[in-house]
Amino acid sequence: MSESPGRSWRGIALRLSLACDLAEVLPAIRAVRGFLAEQGLGEKELAACELALAEACNNAINYASDAARTKPVEVEAICSTAGIELLVNDHTPGFDWPKRVELPEVESERGRGLFLIQSLMDSSEYFRGCQENLLRLRKNRLPGADGAAAAVLSSEEVSRRLAESEQMISDMAEELSSCYESLSAIFRYSAEQGKTISLQDFSRRLLSDLLRIAAADWFVLRLVPKEQARLVVFTASEAALDLEPLDLPDPVRTADSAEVRSGTNRVDIWFDHQKPLAATDPLALAKPDSLGLVHPFYFGDTLIGTLTLGKTVSRTPFTAAQTNVVHTFADFLAIQIVNARFQEEQVNSLLVARDLQIAKNIQRSLLLKTLPQLPGFGLAGYCESARQVGGDFYDVIKLSDNSLLLIIADVMGKGIPAAMFAAILRSLLRALPELTSQPSALLARVNRLLFDELSDVDMFITAQLVYVDVRERRLITASAGHCPLLLAVANDSLVKTLSPEGMPLGILPDTTFTDESAVLSKNCRVLLYTDGLTEARNRQGDLFGQERLIEWLRQSPLSQRTAEELKENLVAELTQFQANTSLKDDQTFLIMAE
Amino acid sequence: MNIKVQIQGDTLNVGGVKELSAANANAFRDQVRGSLADRLKNIDIDLSQTMFLDSCGLGALISLHKTACTRNGAVRLLNPTPPVQQILELTRLHRIFEIVKK
Repeated sequence: MSESPGRSWRGIALRLSLACDLAEVLPAIRAVRGFLAEQGLGEKELAACELALAEACNNAINYASDAARTKPVEVEAICSTAGIELLVNDHTPGFDWPKRVELPEVESERGRGLFLIQSLMDSSEYFRGCQENLLRLRKNRLPGADGAAAAVLSSEEVSRRLAESEQMISDMAEELSSCYESLSAIFRYSAEQGKTISLQDFSRRLLSDLLRIAAADWFVLRLVPKEQARLVVFTASEAALDLEPLDLPDPVRTADSAEVRSGTNRVDIWFDHQKPLAATDPLALAKPDSLGLVHPFYFGDTLIGTLTLGKTVSRTPFTAAQTNVVHTFADFLAIQIVNARFQEEQVNSLLVARDLQIAKNIQRSLLLKTLPQLPGFGLAGYCESARQVGGDFYDVIKLSDNSLLLIIADVMGKGIPAAMFAAILRSLLRALPELTSQPSALLARVNRLLFDELSDVDMFITAQLVYVDVRERRLITASAGHCPLLLAVANDSLVKTLSPEGMPLGILPDTTFTDESAVLSKNCRVLLYTDGLTEARNRQGDLFGQERLIEWLRQSPLSQRTAEELKENLVAELTQFQANTSLKDDQTFLIMAE
Repeated sequence: MNIKVQIQGDTLNVGGVKELSAANANAFRDQVRGSLADRLKNIDIDLSQTMFLDSCGLGALISLHKTACTRNGAVRLLNPTPPVQQILELTRLHRIFEIVKK
């Protein structure tokens, strides 16, 4: 058992620390009794305090977990004119303190401890913590109860008590002013929140004020960034404390850093010249010979960060009032940080949703409401966006009564930028009518026009152009790295794949494309598509694949369907294949049928 | 622990109990039981020097009470000090123990 007399703002205190052994209890409570007797308590009060404290200590020892048997039970007795406060700090798993304890059956040999405590004390409160709990017992002092003793007080005793009272009043005044300062600071900062300043500036200003109120010299605020197991300095009182990030390791026992230990074990860590920081602790290196406190702050079970406050100039440890202020500020800051992060997430997700909506609108606006038709030939197009909009689009430009240009393109990228490039490409293709009958030349031209912009943002476009002349019954196609053009011929039940060479747009500034032509035989079908079709997957993860698409197209002339019917048929085929999956990529195709 | 026992007729007299607490209650109980020869049925415990009694001490007294009951005897508590008397009354154990003041 070790004991140290101390002073608390609430009165005169005796602190005891006893080993986790029942034999230690009686000597400890005798010491408390002696101390309380010195404060002028009557016999009855003494006996009550003695027994209540013994019961509390017995419980603390009997229920201590095996791991906690090495830890002491801490007892503090505080005596003021108003009453006696007994504090017992245990390392048991804790339990729910009953509001009212009933006596057990009269023959029961157990179960009277809590009843005695509640009966003997005026109030009992049990604060459950993590691996440790605090029992606070209070007993009021009856005025004049020890009147006989008061009557014979010597003048020395009177002046001693007067000095004590003065000290108490001054301590209470300090506590009160700290409370006032923290409250007014919190109101001030609450009003500032939401104004223009960043969370970092806000924290720095709040903590600078804290330094002044708590009479400290420096601070370091570390936060755990989202999805990282590190403590990163968010703000500090001076540049020298802008220390390297600390990993939050597992296991934590060996960590040199008090900040890491405090954060992972969820305990305040005090350091001073008697209990210094580890020599290798970054704080010790940056601020040698400091005393102070590391306080972790949490949101639920999530570590938000640690706040370290230190003194290098003064040797006086933080008072209870200052410690309270530190805790209040840290808790307030934690709430602000969690709020700010939550708001940021909200705003981001709103922005993403808006971005997607805009992109979707652009993409929709590129698609023709009705497709131009050619004598004897029907056209139908389909474009379905994935959730993360890409830049697929198709277009049909009518050139004459008998000819038109079919366009399909896939901008590699997502969101607004992809949709913008799709819009630009579509406009460029429509703005160069002199080249529409030469798809390779048209591709070379738009590639040159778009190259700088595309390569600046590391994007590229695959595209396919098909010039169709129904009077001549032929088509000319050129491709910029796009999927092959599929051409089904009715008579020989064969599907031709046309894939003329060509790089995607935006890869090389001066690249050439090749034209490939084919004859439009009787009842032929032409299919342009993006890789969203062939790369569609079913629930088992199988690809739809080009083979399946070719097979579908090979059978299509037999059915005598119109382009619109063929479109519906292919969409149904795709939908069935992808049943119960979510669309990963845009799916676009354009079909022409005689 | 340092207690004095004396046999008087069918009664075991126990004295010299300075305190009865969590630290020594079980030892006290075992020692008294060990001294309780078969023919003895009553236990008189002198509490006139007992300055401290806690709930574990009460448990030991109740345990001895049960032992005495099985022999159709009783536990009598002699001259308890005021604080001990107060605890006994507070826990209403004066209902099962005969408290004797001489």
